[in-house]
Amino acid sequence: MNRGSLRALLRLLAVQGAWSYERMTGIGMGYAAEPLLEDLQASDPARHAAAAVRSAGFFNSHPYLAGIALGALVRAEYDQVPANQLERLRAALPSPLGALGDQLFWVGLVPSVMSLIMLGLAAGVGWWVLPAGLLGFNLFRIATGVWGLHTGLRSGAQVGAAIGDSWLPRWTPRFGRMALLLVGAALPVVAAVELGGATTVARWTAGASGLAVLGLSWRLETRFSPLRLSVLALMMAIVLVGVWP
Amino acid sequence: MTATWLTLGMLLIWGTVVGVDLVSFPQALLSRPLVASAGAGFLLGDPVSGFSVGVVLELFALDVLPVGAARYPDYGPAAVGAVVLAGGGPWMVTLGLATLYALLVAGLGGWSLQVLRRANGRALQRSAAGLAAGQSDTVSALLARGIAGDVLRSFTLTGIALALALQARQIVVPVAGAAACRRASGCRTPNRSRW
Repeated sequence: MNRGSLRALLRLLAVQGAWSYERMTGIGMGYAAEPLLEDLQASDPARHAAAAVRSAGFFNSHPYLAGIALGALVRAEYDQVPANQLERLRAALPSPLGALGDQLFWVGLVPSVMSLIMLGLAAGVGWWVLPAGLLGFNLFRIATGVWGLHTGLRSGAQVGAAIGDSWLPRWTPRFGRMALLLVGAALPVVAAVELGGATTVARWTAGASGLAVLGLSWRLETRFSPLRLSVLALMMAIVLVGVWP
Repeated sequence: MTATWLTLGMLLIWGTVVGVDLVSFPQALLSRPLVASAGAGFLLGDPVSGFSVGVVLELFALDVLPVGAARYPDYGPAAVGAVVLAGGGPWMVTLGLATLYALLVAGLGGWSLQVLRRANGRALQRSAAGLAAGQSDTVSALLARGIAGDVLRSFTLTGIALALALQARQIVVPVAGAAACRRASGCRTPNRSRW
């Protein structure tokens, strides 16, 4: 990774720092694009000025996937893609990146990680499960950011096809199912522990039941809907917590 | 539990950090109520209260999708205040009160985010000439201003949350605790081993 990409990645951590209803994350995208556009400033100052204006225009996507759009738009600027085509690319990216990112992170990974942390705390694993969960999530998030920026910089205006061929659309629904199951397993365990009525065996068993059904969801995903599986996990957890008072 | 000025100062800083983490920087899940509460619990020397409050608030937060222009609650500073309210009291009284308190403060936090976003929009309009000229200094200044505004917002929200929680501890908790003890014919001590 070159220095410009690293600086852009660090700046993407603040992509929503100046969020407004007028340009949404546009200012953050413009700030993150600056290091990547430095070479263009040296070679073609006039085009750089136009690119700088465009880069800070209206934009919105999931913040963790904004690097894909940033890389693609910067690469398209270097490829001298016509301005109207650039605007179309800029307008086309927010919806799919927002939908994929929301499903992957807000609906999938974040509830999964928080549920795992709660199950770990309930099982008496120790408080270290909290920083460990945060570390794991953030490593994945940073790795996704690095991959996204590289994918965008490599693909340019063809970024749509690159996203479609990648792991992102295939794996995103699985994270959603995982969240359903882990939240379903965590709810009764948390309720039991808050009320002080669950033994360690019951906590572990309830948590394990959710994870077991999670495995089933991969094997049987065409025959059982995620909703049915999560209800099954919830019922198993409630029964098991009740069996071991 | 007695909070010293040093502890309150650290809670104020922690609340500000988790508030800024929600949207502006670095969005590393520090703003999740479980994380914010646990941190506040450790700072107060009462991690059990931190985890207890955090887990309940986390269940509320799982229902929230922080997408686009939607208005969503800011649970971070609210959770810090709620742990101060809950800490040390009988959990069957303070947990419910702290949860209700956190939900109200989180709603206030959601409103403050909208105010900040409108302020960012006004700054954008004032800098329209610089943006139209593609000046990088203008973009950097707008971003710095936005983050500084969020720091101020989170600091203020945490300050309000802490001040009200300390007042509520002195007034509400003894009254509600005594009432609960009368109903239960004596107060049970909190179950300190449940987390």
